[in-house]
Amino acid sequence: MPKTGIGVTVIRKEACNKVTGDAKYTNDFISVGILTAKMVTSTCAHAAIKKIDIAQASSLPGVRAIITGDNCSVIYGPLLEDRPPLAHKKVRYYGEPIALVVADNEFIASQAVFLIKVEYEPLPVVNSPSEAIRQGAVILHENLGSYKTVVEDVYPKPGTNICDQKQIRKGDIQKGFFESDIIEEARFILPQSDHIAMETRTAQAKINADGTVFIRSASQAPHGIKKEISKVFGLEEGKVIVEVPFVGGGFGGKASIQLELLAYMASKAVGGREIKIINSRENDIVTSPCRMGLEAIIKLGASKDGKLKAIQMTYLVDTGAYSDTGPRLARAIAVDCTGPYNIDNVWCDVLCVYTNHPYVTAFRGFGHASYTFCIERMIDKLARRLQMDPAEFRKINSLLPNHTTPTQVKVTESNFGNLVACIDKLKTLINWEEGDRLEIGNDKIKAKGMACLWKTSNSPPDEVSGVFLTFNEDGSINLNCGCVEYGPAMKTTAAQILSEKLKMDINRIYVNMDVNTKYSPKHWKTVASMTTFMLGRAVLRAAEDVIRQLKSLAAVVLRCPPENLEVEDEKIYVKSDPAIFLNFKDLVHGYKYNNGNSVEGQILGRGSFIMSDINVLDKETGKGKAGPYWTVGAQAVEIEFDKKEYTYRFIKAATVMDAGNLLNPSMAESLVKGGMCMGLGLGSRECFNYGPEGEVLDTSLRSYKVMHFGETPQYLVEFVETPQLDSPYEARGIAEHGIIGIPAALGNALSVAVQAELDELPLVPETIWRIKTGGVL
Amino acid sequence: MISFDFEYYRPDTLKEAVDIFLKLDKEGKSPVYYGGGTELISMARVGSQSFGAVVDIKNIPECKVLGFNADTLCLGSAITLSDITEANYFPLLSKTAGRIADHTMQGKITFGGNLASTIIYRETVLPLLLTNARLTVAGKNGLAEVEIGQVFKERLRLQKGEFLVKATIDKKFLIAPYFHVKKTKNEKIDYPLITAEGLKLDGYVRIAFSGLASYPFREANIENMLNDSSLEFSQRADKIVQALSGVITSDLYGSAEYRKYVLKNTIVNILETLKDQ
Repeated sequence: MPKTGIGVTVIRKEACNKVTGDAKYTNDFISVGILTAKMVTSTCAHAAIKKIDIAQASSLPGVRAIITGDNCSVIYGPLLEDRPPLAHKKVRYYGEPIALVVADNEFIASQAVFLIKVEYEPLPVVNSPSEAIRQGAVILHENLGSYKTVVEDVYPKPGTNICDQKQIRKGDIQKGFFESDIIEEARFILPQSDHIAMETRTAQAKINADGTVFIRSASQAPHGIKKEISKVFGLEEGKVIVEVPFVGGGFGGKASIQLELLAYMASKAVGGREIKIINSRENDIVTSPCRMGLEAIIKLGASKDGKLKAIQMTYLVDTGAYSDTGPRLARAIAVDCTGPYNIDNVWCDVLCVYTNHPYVTAFRGFGHASYTFCIERMIDKLARRLQMDPAEFRKINSLLPNHTTPTQVKVTESNFGNLVACIDKLKTLINWEEGDRLEIGNDKIKAKGMACLWKTSNSPPDEVSGVFLTFNEDGSINLNCGCVEYGPAMKTTAAQILSEKLKMDINRIYVNMDVNTKYSPKHWKTVASMTTFMLGRAVLRAAEDVIRQLKSLAAVVLRCPPENLEVEDEKIYVKSDPAIFLNFKDLVHGYKYNNGNSVEGQILGRGSFIMSDINVLDKETGKGKAGPYWTVGAQAVEIEFDKKEYTYRFIKAATVMDAGNLLNPSMAESLVKGGMCMGLGLGSRECFNYGPEGEVLDTSLRSYKVMHFGETPQYLVEFVETPQLDSPYEARGIAEHGIIGIPAALGNALSVAVQAELDELPLVPETIWRIKTGGVL
Repeated sequence: MISFDFEYYRPDTLKEAVDIFLKLDKEGKSPVYYGGGTELISMARVGSQSFGAVVDIKNIPECKVLGFNADTLCLGSAITLSDITEANYFPLLSKTAGRIADHTMQGKITFGGNLASTIIYRETVLPLLLTNARLTVAGKNGLAEVEIGQVFKERLRLQKGEFLVKATIDKKFLIAPYFHVKKTKNEKIDYPLITAEGLKLDGYVRIAFSGLASYPFREANIENMLNDSSLEFSQRADKIVQALSGVITSDLYGSAEYRKYVLKNTIVNILETLKDQ
């Protein structure tokens, strides 16, 4: 086991506690006397609430309070304030919280929930994004014009179902299509789906006598909760304390704030007593926010020699009944809308539209897996029309240094990486030369498909991360940071970076696994594959801070200039004669001279980072910089398709990603494999089916299917390393990216196998049969 | 969390079970017989079933039989699907049981529970329909043995207080050539889009289905079509698809049209496979 630094496989710091079941998650903290809150949720996707009869439930012994939308006037949204925590007068999606019961225990709370009778008057539903923008569509939010926008770059259109619109105007689209010899056009449909984190969302709240609010939550955004709770309920920020222990999977779904608001309201209703609220799996799927749906129409033109000339795109983001993170997803799609390709003429509209579907939030890939399916299917269609090898076609159109992105950011080797190298390496890895469609007998076809990916972050331009370092008397270090540990071993990465910088044993660095906003410095949210970048930079600054202090103290003791000193292995030594040294333990809590006189005191380190050169994008053209750099990659899926049955199985899934610099090789490989597994799930099965009245039909794992372990193909992962010069040790974020191109690669492989254009997801055998045959027997 | 209270009884004899059930019923407690609980628990949790008492029959020796009695195989209603697959006395039934739910659930789901399920598939009935199995039913007048067709019509139809004790199958069926085809929407572990299974006996193919309609069934006229040697395999398949088109369902797992497509393929495949056996 290597003891220091980066570039070596390090077992995650919490491994022992997790594999033994010792690690504690939110719902493992149950104190005596804690009450249970439970939601009553809507059985209609769109209806006026005529009456909520709580009489019978209220009289049940052990029921402490029942709250409905009538008792709560707040309206919330991180970007656009459009969502009441409990539906008020109207429900807009199936599963929307209507009332909240607070009772002595879960049993009584469940009984009360069944006793609450809600009378609805059904309203016509908007059951797809294209329905939402149709002339005469039912309007979900008649007060859209009076909703408060929280950020400057969200542009709702009152009188419509459009809660935001982002657009890209680059070059001259008319000219681009005029110069195109071949133009392909297609329409894509991708339904919503869910995160299915192993731990369902849960929150606890209590309000102390002095008004201090304490929230514990399974969240990716503890500091976000603190800020929002104080803002929504008019509390002093210092009086809101949020604690997040280990989180059992997030995938973006725990970056939004929902149960925390309800938990606070529930505790308030019972005089501040401690309460807990836990999503059932059904609630977690349908009541809490899910993954966006997408409809797209794309027109792509190229010259005969295979150069992309122009692209026109309309994306409709299905944000569901409320905006929440939808506008940010729309922006993320706009920013990277072309895929990692050089196209001079780009016209893109992304409309974020309300429907009577569950509302949406971040999901691994943040919109990228969805639009990438559309773009990469288009690339394959065009390559085939041009009779070009799809891999070569991608290579000759790859963005390169000095090209510009859709938002007109200049590409550099550092900010983009090397996509061509990824494609080349992928071709070898997947044996591309063998051919992408092989008849192998018994009506079986072996086929391969490829897709490229890129992603930058979409954080607000002023987000921060911070680190505090304290020392134990034995010279070991405590690293205190605000990121949440929900899987990708962030805390371990932070320790690796510190260990590398201080050249000390990583096992002597102790990282706080939980986050408490009272003690931990703010970290924006643990999202966007940005934690290594932001937190890593803060760690480096904190390390420099303690090195400076240590050298300064040692310089006094050793009577030499600080620049003559070096730090390594918990020692400060004289560069010219390492035999002259002091141990950390002799310095970190102050230095004591032989006669007892002591100087300095504790060495306390701090490091802080703020995103610097990111802009708000121009409203008309989209021009601007959304994130600090991109991570690019190329992916492939190999399948075996049965021509007669329209069934298929996965053989291989492969990824080559430009990681900048691999900090923890095995962890990186696992992250990418996990992403590919989720991507195969999205491509092959995961989706919400809606009934004619907008109700979600798959609200449990009986019908909502995720990948089974036994279906796992052979995963192949390799990396390219093009340094990202602004990142800690030149590393690029890779946590989400494994998912992005996989649905597209699967779609391409199956389209080749089936010899049909498969432009919708998920690709279950019936869908393939319907597209291929037109559904005719 | 089940949001209502209920009483739990675990009788040791058939008579005790029937007596306590009828007593509870008289008291208005809406009792139910209880096997593995997988269905009752999950339905009760979401509020789609309620009961005031359960009568657990897993402690009654007659319900736990699994073995041969002279020329018949006896299968108690309280044995689990795992018991069936592990003993493997009847390969077709083992195949059927081994493809219901997942391995963990198979250790809980009972044979009787699957037959009496409110979920429409009840796949373990297919081998019983194919072998003209006999069912033993306990009721207030003691035990009665009946032909499966008398009590299983689309679903198990028992009188109040009655419960299934065991099924018996004539040994001669256990060695007959058989087939079991389970087609799902997408994955191995799921409800069937179509489960088709059958036996070939004296040159005649028997067939039964689950998933195709809203209930499992075996029909004589379908078998006649299947065995009509005057027609090509695909013609027989077409005829069967046409004959069943009124009962074939559309649901979340597949449209009726797609089911018809899969059915046709499945029948042709089965006939191809069986032609030399």
